[in-house]
Amino acid sequence: MTAMSDNSIAPVRRWTGFGLLGKGLFIAYLALMLAWLLFPIILVLLASFQGKLEVTLSASDFGFEAYKSIPPAYWEAFWFTIRTALSATLLALLVAVPAAWGMVRGKLKGHRLLSNLVLIPDVVPQLILGIALLTVFIPLHLANSFAGVLLALTALSLSTGLRFTEALLTGLPDEYEQAANTLGANRLTTFRLITLPLIAPGLAIAALFIFMQNLVTFELLYFIAGPNASPVSVRLFSDIVDRGVLPYAVAMAGILIYVAIAFYTIVAIVLGPKYMAGSVMSRKG
Amino acid sequence: MTDLNPTEQGPGLRTLPPPVEAFADDEGRIIMQRRIRREKIFYRLCTLPAILVTFLVAIVPLGLLIFNSFRNQRTGVLSFEYYIATLGNAFFLRTLTSTIMMAFGVTVIAIFLALPLAYTLARRTLLRNFIMPVITIPRMLPFVVIGYAMILLLAPMTGVANKVLLGLGILSQPAFILFDWPGQAIAFSYSGIVIATAVLTGVLMSVDPQLEDASVSLGATRLRTFFVVTIPLAMPGIIAASALIFTSIVTSYAIPVMLNGRVPYMISLLVSANLLTLQQPHLAYAQAVIVSLLAIGVTAAAQYVLLRYGQGGRKQ
Repeated sequence: MTAMSDNSIAPVRRWTGFGLLGKGLFIAYLALMLAWLLFPIILVLLASFQGKLEVTLSASDFGFEAYKSIPPAYWEAFWFTIRTALSATLLALLVAVPAAWGMVRGKLKGHRLLSNLVLIPDVVPQLILGIALLTVFIPLHLANSFAGVLLALTALSLSTGLRFTEALLTGLPDEYEQAANTLGANRLTTFRLITLPLIAPGLAIAALFIFMQNLVTFELLYFIAGPNASPVSVRLFSDIVDRGVLPYAVAMAGILIYVAIAFYTIVAIVLGPKYMAGSVMSRKG
Repeated sequence: MTDLNPTEQGPGLRTLPPPVEAFADDEGRIIMQRRIRREKIFYRLCTLPAILVTFLVAIVPLGLLIFNSFRNQRTGVLSFEYYIATLGNAFFLRTLTSTIMMAFGVTVIAIFLALPLAYTLARRTLLRNFIMPVITIPRMLPFVVIGYAMILLLAPMTGVANKVLLGLGILSQPAFILFDWPGQAIAFSYSGIVIATAVLTGVLMSVDPQLEDASVSLGATRLRTFFVVTIPLAMPGIIAASALIFTSIVTSYAIPVMLNGRVPYMISLLVSANLLTLQQPHLAYAQAVIVSLLAIGVTAAAQYVLLRYGQGGRKQ
């Protein structure tokens, strides 16, 4: 707003040739950056509808053959990913919410230590954690199993859950809980009736973020996945390495793009798009 | 208020008004202390599952990995042999150097390319709301999907870029850049630009535009203001974003495998080859420890710089 009123007061700007050139260059830069950021989504979607590896712009090739030919193994991997991501999100919140509550309300001495401890799976490169987990999981028969993937994802999402819940509880004055306590409710009742409903909206957002993070995790799971437990990202990866780009794999990638778009739409509607700008949801290649 | 609060700690209790009868004082305090202790134990119990999960799924495996990296694979003798072998291996060192150079170069390029875009997005709300999904959605895709897009764009025969350039007569023969380091650099710089734009937009939004207006009103041009006022204020964010991009490239696995050339260019390939195909897990562990020390070291250095830099400034 201030910038606009400034302009209205300021003397009319003279358009010099140099200024116009700079403006033009800047707009060209913006357009190029936009194209660069958009091209993977557009290319994958186009290729998924054309069912070929050569992307063309002729409208006659469009069809759903690639989507129809997605083999059952891919759908299995897709639902496996959804199942593990969902269970890991719930498990992580089940573990993180009491921990955050104890830390914030109990004013424990080891508060900082615990926050940093939980951060370790997030800070250590996923590649290394994956290798380490593989070593431990093989003798325990957890490698190549639902439980192993679930555990790995839970440990990874714990830090996000804890940070979210901690922030929520710190922002919540504890007078409400004290009032409930004074009126005779025990801890559990207080938590169930007072605290949980108050932080539930925030928890839902946290769950959404953790779920999405679990959905795209690749490097951690690559080492502990196997034929019995293959998330969709691992399945896509091993197929591209072994057999090259396949039309139905591109279609599956397209489906993942739809999931991401749906997720973005939900968050944008609920929180407003501004929320996404600062969020440091790490994306590890 | 505080009288009723059983979670108040010891020093707070001393301020309680002294009860009328002396013996009740003692007894009351003992009961109170016992209750406080029970409360504390209850709170600690609440944090126990989190500690347990982290220990079982992260600390113990990582500890075993570090321990095994010191242990001979056959005899079980503890020594530094794998580290010495790794650091004395010219091939490993060359790959490590190329990895670091790749990560550094891509980080610098990504930050430079993303900074003006991020600044524009931070100052123009309408444009930001319009472009935000473009930045956010790639971050919510598995990196494999970006790899598919790279192949569709740059593949030597079928890729869009090659076909367009050949059709325009700019290239006389298809460019075979995908399955070598240039292709990997392009793929990494894609993810780098996405991360940099998203993080820097958030950081630049927190830089007060009034400071820039003050600088302009004192006679500086917009461009000079950007370099003298905005960039120093956004420096913590730039450092954080750089560290994030650098570490993510150093430890990346998907892109180096998908776009692999004849000679491994990234360090993660060596680690996984030793682990999975060459049956030298303990050597792989030592190399993994070296790589993660590099990654964690860069993150820690960035944190240290931020701490020193951000003494007065605010950081979210």
